[in-house]
Amino acid sequence: MRRTFIILGLITAILAVMLAVTPLSKIAFIPSVAALIFGLIAFYFSRQKQYPKKSIQLIFLLTIIALTITTYKAVFTVVEVGNVEELKSKEKESEEKAIEELEDLELDELPELE
Amino acid sequence: MKQFFLLILFLWGSLLTAQNTAIGHNEKLGFSASYNMSGLLTEIAQVTMQTSEVKTSNATLLRLKCSAATYSNFDNYFKIRDLYESYVSPTTLVPYLYKRDINEGSYYKFEQYKFSHKTKTVSSTMKKRKSEQTKTVKIGANTKDIVSTIYNIRNFDFRTLNPNDTKSFTFLFDNEELIINVKYLRKETINTNLGKKECYKLAITLKNDDALKGTNENLLWLTADGNKLPVYAKFKIAVGTGELKLKSATGLKN
Repeated sequence: MRRTFIILGLITAILAVMLAVTPLSKIAFIPSVAALIFGLIAFYFSRQKQYPKKSIQLIFLLTIIALTITTYKAVFTVVEVGNVEELKSKEKESEEKAIEELEDLELDELPELE
Repeated sequence: MKQFFLLILFLWGSLLTAQNTAIGHNEKLGFSASYNMSGLLTEIAQVTMQTSEVKTSNATLLRLKCSAATYSNFDNYFKIRDLYESYVSPTTLVPYLYKRDINEGSYYKFEQYKFSHKTKTVSSTMKKRKSEQTKTVKIGANTKDIVSTIYNIRNFDFRTLNPNDTKSFTFLFDNEELIINVKYLRKETINTNLGKKECYKLAITLKNDDALKGTNENLLWLTADGNKLPVYAKFKIAVGTGELKLKSATGLKN
């Protein structure tokens, strides 16, 4: 039982660290909380039977790292659009091409240009 | 004679309903698209819907432009730079030219439709990185493109519908005609970035495509005023649920 919770705790803690470094870092809260719960359960079983607690300490350490990164990113990351110069120039180019193509089309029921 | 007057009345009625009453000629709407997982919202991309006038030598058209760009923290993982355009009649919002230029990660696709409403056909050009395809597609009398359909939904007078009534719109996407059903659920007042707004709550479903999952789970809130602004949208797709929130609105018609 103790071993199962240690394995589950390690898996969720590693997953939390991996998610924390991606842009979807907020999702890392879910495996972090799961890792904490698994870690606590494993800690409870270890204390009852006086087993070593090194692997449980590793679960907590990884979880704390994941939570720190996630919280830092949630607080300090400013949401802004990256480089859209290429998109802007594409928009302009597309409009110019569209005007040329519209000249060739039959534009029925359209108001005359004043 | 009676039939003649009824026909005139019907044509006049359809002409009135088809007029553009909601879309301004210099309107700009800014949205933020988020991915939702167990209530944890992650802002992914900025979506912009913009209109502008375009003049050719003999006509004035309305350019409806929708663009999407991922936020800088996502650019290194999955960069999206999408551009959707439709050139429509400014009075009836009938499309004449549609362009779609999508850059999503390493995937690229360009699509162009030239509408011929007299022959009810669309001349379609599709380009990918290594291939190009041109063909003529037969369309129905009311088939539009996806961009002008969004604007036509906004332009529709929802006061004519009762709760749970459905209005269908047909559009061409990837050379296939798809039917979007817009079900008017009820009026609802919600908090938006523009303040508290009374909205039409609409449920969106695609009749012959499974891109949108669930029933009554893809929802759109349009303000119950002259502009019918899409202030909030919730959608369920294969990879989870997402949200679209209106952040800014300028150049409104009403």
